[in-house]
Amino acid sequence: MRVQESGPMALLFQRLGPKVLIWFTLTFLVIWTATPIIWAILSSFKDPLEIYESKSLLPEVWRLDAYRKVLSMPGFSTWLMNSVIVTVVATIVPLILAILAAYGFARYAFKFRHVLLLLYLIPRIIPRVSLIVPLNDLMSDLGLINTYSVLFITYIASAVPLATWILVGFFGSIPKEIEESATLDGANMWNRLRHVMLPMAWPGVVTAAVLCLREAWNEFSFVLALVNQTDMRTLPYQLYMLKDSMGIQDYAVYNAFTILTVLPLLLVYLLLERKVVDSIVSGAVKS
Amino acid sequence: MSHTTPMVEDGPTGADRLKPFVPYLLVLPGLLFVMGVLGYAVVGGIILSLNETDMFMNKTFVGLKNYIDVFADPRFQAAMLRTLSFVVISIVLGIFMSMSFALVLYKVVRGRRFFRGLSLVPYFVSGIATAVMFRFIFTTSGGFVNTVLAQLGLPAQSWLGDPTLAFVVAIMANCWFMVPFASLILLGGIQTIDKDLYDAAAIDGANPIQIFFRITLPLIKPMLGVSLIWVSYISFSTFDIVLALTSGGPLKATELVSIYMYELAFRQLNFGQGAVLMVVLLVFNTVLSLIYIKIFVMGDRRHSEAGK
Repeated sequence: MRVQESGPMALLFQRLGPKVLIWFTLTFLVIWTATPIIWAILSSFKDPLEIYESKSLLPEVWRLDAYRKVLSMPGFSTWLMNSVIVTVVATIVPLILAILAAYGFARYAFKFRHVLLLLYLIPRIIPRVSLIVPLNDLMSDLGLINTYSVLFITYIASAVPLATWILVGFFGSIPKEIEESATLDGANMWNRLRHVMLPMAWPGVVTAAVLCLREAWNEFSFVLALVNQTDMRTLPYQLYMLKDSMGIQDYAVYNAFTILTVLPLLLVYLLLERKVVDSIVSGAVKS
Repeated sequence: MSHTTPMVEDGPTGADRLKPFVPYLLVLPGLLFVMGVLGYAVVGGIILSLNETDMFMNKTFVGLKNYIDVFADPRFQAAMLRTLSFVVISIVLGIFMSMSFALVLYKVVRGRRFFRGLSLVPYFVSGIATAVMFRFIFTTSGGFVNTVLAQLGLPAQSWLGDPTLAFVVAIMANCWFMVPFASLILLGGIQTIDKDLYDAAAIDGANPIQIFFRITLPLIKPMLGVSLIWVSYISFSTFDIVLALTSGGPLKATELVSIYMYELAFRQLNFGQGAVLMVVLLVFNTVLSLIYIKIFVMGDRRHSEAGK
């Protein structure tokens, strides 16, 4: 609680204090957010020995050796393909299931509507890592360890509730009158969904898709628990395994691998950043 | 809501008799799939926690024996206390940072889009990549911090070799990953506040601190609840970040319940006791979420209804 003072310093502080605080916080935000990524990028271009000496922040010579080494790893294309396949399936299937469910919740009044909607929320408060113990046991019994199916099943199950909750909000905010006029024009449910609801809720569909993509691309605990063959690993799993599999720590390779696993998703995010940020800020996405 | 009445009438397609079932046909496939997998896992886990398993996964029912053993296990007790302090510190630091970022992202005018876009980037970096990046920030030879210290002529520190420092670094990595989403949620709340309220308060001579506590904070209570749920959910179930950052070390200084659960089940192959830890994580997280929902969402609704 600052008391009104008339000294010139106090006046200066009162005028500038908030501005300085804002700029300080903003600078901190930028440094805090960017440093780990920029450091990984810089280190990935360095010589491994140069990293050990920790003399300068910038590479002496910008080398691509680390990237060449990563791309020529015997399994790299396999891990990349695994990640892509699992991510595509675990984005498209949950989206379809969620679009149907969200349309049902947003447009119909029916018995148990609230209970069913709540049931869709519960999975979001279950810590996913806690499920790895029983899932490993159950999936072993079903003989599904080291298969794509087991990754599809678990990834889809964890993405559907997220996508549904985002889309219920977006569908619900579209005025019913627009759909009713489409009904009068003879459009049935599928046509209304395709030609009215989806185009109008497009930012929501994009956001849901990006967040499903994010979950699947970055998922680690399920693949750790349900896969143990080298050729079934995804990129995050292999990144984790690098720690043990490299005899002498080649930090440049390690950083290059990290950048390559992070980059594809960041590019998707940068392309669709506006829609995703707006959706989260507008409160349409809640954990 | 006694009948299943569609709000929108279907066109005369002849499928009238199916109509009452339409919403269920839309809603249930996804739900049955989710419940099938996750419900099966939760129930399977609870059953597993009541059994003893051998190396070949043969199970014998032992009742509550696993629970008694786990709760008496000093290593579990230490992991539990560690998790609680990890969660509490993460929540306090995480919410403080989220709130600061949200306020500053609200205030900034020039480059607003850029700063908002940038602030969310860590949300898209996987937990493993986050951990690896933080290892190279703090690693002894070649880490960013020690390189900066060397340039300043200061001695290098073994950040990840010291139990206390490693715990702090783990919390920082956790915050780096979870703060962005929470701050955008809070920003959404701050944006909905009517600017006239601020102007009126400023005219009445309120200072920024008073304005924050009397106007901003009460009005974003529901958003604060949502971000609290997010922050504590992430902190409680932190696993990949800590596993890849420190593997629970040094000297078990960062061995959280989730890490010990993985160790018990997948390294020691004691699935029964591992499942007990799963139940512990589940119960704690659910109770915490329910408390938040009761305080922030329900409480707020009752309050606003009473105010009408």
